[in-house]
Amino acid sequence: MDWPSLFQSIANGILIAGLYASVTLGLTLVLGVMGIVNFAHGELVMLGAYNTFWLFTMLGIDPLVSIAITAPLLFLVGIFVYRFTIRPILKDPPLNQLLLTLGLSIFLQNLAMILWKTDSRSVVTSWSGMSLHLGMVHVGATRLITFAISVVLTAALIVFLHKMRLGKAMRAVSENNTGSWLVGIDVQKTYMLAFGVACALAGISGSLVSTIMYTYPMVGFKLSLKAFCILILGGLGNISGALLGSLILGLTESFVGTYVPEGSGWAEGISFFLIIVVLIIKPTGLAGTRRE
Amino acid sequence: MRKDESPKMALLQVDRLTKHFGGLTAAHDVSFHVDSREIVSLIGPNGAGKTTIFNLISGVYRPNSGDIRLGGESIAGLRPYDICRKGVGRTFQIMQPFPKMTVLENVVTSALFGRTPKVSMKTAEGEAAELCRLVGLGDKLKAYPKSLTVPDQKRTEIARALAVRPKLLLLDEVMSGLTPTETDEAIRLVLKLREAGSTILLIEHVMKVVMGISDRVIVLHHGEKISEGPPSRVVDDPKVIEAYLGKLVNEEGGTAC
Amino acid sequence: MGSSIRWKTTLPLGILSAFLLLFPKIVGSYFLHLAVSAILAMILASSWDILARTGQVSVGQAGLFGIGAYASALLYRKFSMPPVLGMLAGALIATAVSIFLGYLTLRLRGIYFSITTIAFAEALTVIWLMTPDITGGAMGVSTPPLFGGDREKAYYLILAALAAAVAVVRLIEKSRLNFAFTAIRENEEVANVLGINSTKYKVLAFMISAFFTGFAGGFYSHYNTYIIPYEVFNLGISIACLVIPIFGGLYTIAGPIIGTVLIKTIEEYLRVTFSYGHQIAYGLILVLVVLFMPEGLLGLWRGKILPLFRPHGTR
Repeated sequence: MDWPSLFQSIANGILIAGLYASVTLGLTLVLGVMGIVNFAHGELVMLGAYNTFWLFTMLGIDPLVSIAITAPLLFLVGIFVYRFTIRPILKDPPLNQLLLTLGLSIFLQNLAMILWKTDSRSVVTSWSGMSLHLGMVHVGATRLITFAISVVLTAALIVFLHKMRLGKAMRAVSENNTGSWLVGIDVQKTYMLAFGVACALAGISGSLVSTIMYTYPMVGFKLSLKAFCILILGGLGNISGALLGSLILGLTESFVGTYVPEGSGWAEGISFFLIIVVLIIKPTGLAGTRRE
Repeated sequence: MRKDESPKMALLQVDRLTKHFGGLTAAHDVSFHVDSREIVSLIGPNGAGKTTIFNLISGVYRPNSGDIRLGGESIAGLRPYDICRKGVGRTFQIMQPFPKMTVLENVVTSALFGRTPKVSMKTAEGEAAELCRLVGLGDKLKAYPKSLTVPDQKRTEIARALAVRPKLLLLDEVMSGLTPTETDEAIRLVLKLREAGSTILLIEHVMKVVMGISDRVIVLHHGEKISEGPPSRVVDDPKVIEAYLGKLVNEEGGTAC
Repeated sequence: MGSSIRWKTTLPLGILSAFLLLFPKIVGSYFLHLAVSAILAMILASSWDILARTGQVSVGQAGLFGIGAYASALLYRKFSMPPVLGMLAGALIATAVSIFLGYLTLRLRGIYFSITTIAFAEALTVIWLMTPDITGGAMGVSTPPLFGGDREKAYYLILAALAAAVAVVRLIEKSRLNFAFTAIRENEEVANVLGINSTKYKVLAFMISAFFTGFAGGFYSHYNTYIIPYEVFNLGISIACLVIPIFGGLYTIAGPIIGTVLIKTIEEYLRVTFSYGHQIAYGLILVLVVLFMPEGLLGLWRGKILPLFRPHGTR
């Protein structure tokens, strides 16, 4: 039994799961609070990644520091997008919502291609190449830091939702629309802010993504599909489900990458295979309906 | 395939029908029968399981245990479209006419698919138009459901159910929300249908209808049958009174069912 | 419900047909190529629409397109199957796959169905890349030019395919299938209770849709002489399949056709201007249609413009 390989695999899986979780957080928030599956979420991550890349390339700003700029910027983008495209379709049938956010996704993908071409960009900092040794396991600095930030982000979101007024309002609205309105919560404003926060989260995860993967127009699409896979695995609109799903996906990809011949190529397809397999077995996803 | 019915065999025989959803028991050990050309009302407080029974009979749900026989033949667990073609037509409590189809098209749909053997499009259209006229929608054939009044939407659903030439007609709360005049018209229609040979099982809350046209009444409460018999007897049954009144006592100022 | 071509439109149709048949004689190579590309899109859009009529909104038609393309190309390369036969084989293979996919996705509602179809097309890309010995992998597969490069012949072939697709849709619209599809789309549970075997019809719609999509793929592989997974399983194809009918008018014959003409014109203009990202039009149009014009162009025509000419309506 090749223990070092196994532990390395597990470590890699957990680390990447952190990144995936941070990508999925915003998607989960929007789904949980307003019941909409935002197909364009990945593109917001992509925008965050590009923003980080340009800040780094043009102004030399460290990607982690640029989060302070990316987050508010994407928050505003989210508010804008919400006001003009999401709010009008809040009450529409889910199909319309799917089509609208899909259209948004295609629009943003192609906009990125027009503005920034299709070249793959990378963010390589002074600390990018470093790695630590933890026992038998090598851990890249970027992955470790990304994981740590994802953990912090998730914890912050949970605290926000449970302890802060706006967050509690979001939870109230997700469970009972009319009831919340009756107790004086401005439902519309809560939705708008939730969407903004979700986009900010997407932006932050984009900053993280830019340090680990190449940044290119379609990176958001790839991550979207992983996020959907996670939702389907872990339960919709539910943070703990998102974490569980992220772990399952991350570890599966990692194990396939290590133990299957030519695994790194096949690992790319894990999220697709999981989506198909899980939905066939359980058409509403592993954990079923949404809960918050 | 079917033997001659002896006059004693019920058209619909429901035996110990049970249905759970997770921890909730929607129907428990329900047994009853409906004879050919009877009009039987299924009543009970909200949540008693009446629509569940309809869903079980029409095949929308599969029973966890128990049997359902139509004309002696077991239909429990069959697919809804097979059950339909064996002669069961139904309407829905929340009206669901196909919104993008005209009234006529709604009825043609079931005429085309709900019958065995299948009929041609021409025949289906002719029969559908006839049925629409029968229920009083003759001048609204080309109208869309959303432009119809509530009674007319119900008529559309009834015509659609009739188009499958059902031996057993399941009517789910077709009388609710009607004015007294409209209710009388609806009653006349149901009686006309029975005269034409249909057997009818109604879910109803409107007591005037239940008392007025039912040959028998079956009362459900919490998924179980608690009483059965002619309307006059059921209404005096203390168990039934308690089922309905028990609700009254616990609510503030509720009105009688 | 559905489109009905009144006899008054037969004359214009006749003129249109004559135009279409004489088209290659009138225009040069560039426009002929555009026309072929547009007709291909019309077939894809019409096929998507057939499936959508049963309420199955596929965002993965590229999967079937790619299967048709590869089937045709590989059958040529490995067994020297003549191209046109290969296209039909591609159509049949895509149809077979769709039966499988159709049954697999039967219980999936709404967006779950759509997400699965996206995953399907993406999964195929991965499988293709990882099996280069069978599929040619990332290097792709090449074939000699269709009909020796005779674009006119290619045009007539694809035009015939479009005519076949349109004829099939017309047949569906005039038959009881129309009622079944519409009923399933509007309320599958009620449809079943009224005697419609929704499984049978949903899978049937998938098969018909897959046949023409697969054929289009097969045609594309020979016409283009070279295919790679990223191209034929590409999301962009799936998007085009759905944006065009939504824009032009769902569940109609004319909608996908008119939608293609307009969108392709815009797209071509953009393609010449920016070499990448010309599909931005699809995204923008999709968003605008959902927000402002959910009935599509034909709906707009019927709802707002036609009444101007016929105030008492014929609906």
